[in-house]
Amino acid sequence: MFCDDLPDDLKILWKEAGTDRPMFSPDGLRKNAERLRARRRRVDIVLRVCMSSFVAYFALCFFLLHDTLTRIGSILGVFGFGYWLVRLVVERGRTIPDLGETDAVRFYRAELERVRDSHRRMMWRWLILPPPFILFDLFFARIYEKRWPFIAWSLWFSCALLLAVFVIWVPLMYLRVARKYQSRIDALDAAVRSSGP
Amino acid sequence: MDRIESQDELYRKVEEEYGAALARMAHAYEADPDLRRDLSQEIHLALWRSFGRFNGRCSLRTWIYRVAHNAATSHVIRQTKGKRNVPAFLTLEEAEVQASDENVETSADRSQALARLFGLIQRLDPPDRQVILAYLEDLDAESIAEITGLSVVNVWSKIHRIKVVLVRQFHRGGRNVL
Repeated sequence: MFCDDLPDDLKILWKEAGTDRPMFSPDGLRKNAERLRARRRRVDIVLRVCMSSFVAYFALCFFLLHDTLTRIGSILGVFGFGYWLVRLVVERGRTIPDLGETDAVRFYRAELERVRDSHRRMMWRWLILPPPFILFDLFFARIYEKRWPFIAWSLWFSCALLLAVFVIWVPLMYLRVARKYQSRIDALDAAVRSSGP
Repeated sequence: MDRIESQDELYRKVEEEYGAALARMAHAYEADPDLRRDLSQEIHLALWRSFGRFNGRCSLRTWIYRVAHNAATSHVIRQTKGKRNVPAFLTLEEAEVQASDENVETSADRSQALARLFGLIQRLDPPDRQVILAYLEDLDAESIAEITGLSVVNVWSKIHRIKVVLVRQFHRGGRNVL
């Protein structure tokens, strides 16, 4: 073969790299694993507290504000943020494929599928959050319409912005990225299939 | 207690024997030095954890490379996940075409050649990256097939393509750039 000689030179060159490697000890790794677990727990707690606060806020609004718009907004807010909270708890317990038992291509495909699915899920989840805020904006815009039209206009603008960003732009962006991951999965499948079993 | 000790013992043995190969792998997956250090730590942590579950159903070497490649692949995907523009990796076929178009400086020294080699590998799609790395670490096609899950025929075909790309990149017009 015309290129048989060169790769051996290249392998020698390749082995010259990796001499300045970082050193790790089991004790250091154990501490690091504990630190990572603690950080993850902290992030989890912060997210759960945030979501729970929104649920409590909208629940309170339901009882304090008696307008139909705010009542509907409060119900949507409780269910929307409640859903995020539940998914947060459920998804923390997901199982990752065993790194040693799963061959590299299957693992890569599983990871691509996981990221694609998470983008698709996020696309729908972002649609859940804006409606309560939009309904609250509409309620307050109606109140301020006659006395302070400038505030009313800014609330109308906020509604339009929420619609444009969270109902159109963000979901479309997630959909676009999910499609890119899907095309990577298709390319990977085609590459594996093309060379046969 | 015994299990933890044997897990630590196995890790120390593997670190000693495969540490340099794992460092090269981390370099081939991550160009940024700070992120590379994080990746090295992730790979070592994944290995140390995995030894608690190592059951001997495959060879230790296969297990090590699978865990390391899978941890590195996770890192690559995580790095691209938050970005709106998912970077497109090169397939070996595309790398072949690009290699023939690039202007290679024949006076390049060994460190430049090594940097170019890492640069080439970092742009490849993870499955191709896994094959080229295993090939450079002197693994045979059967072992590469076991690690990656590709068929031996597929691995052979990829190795052939890899050689063509490497020759075009590093051996222009009969002159060896190494």
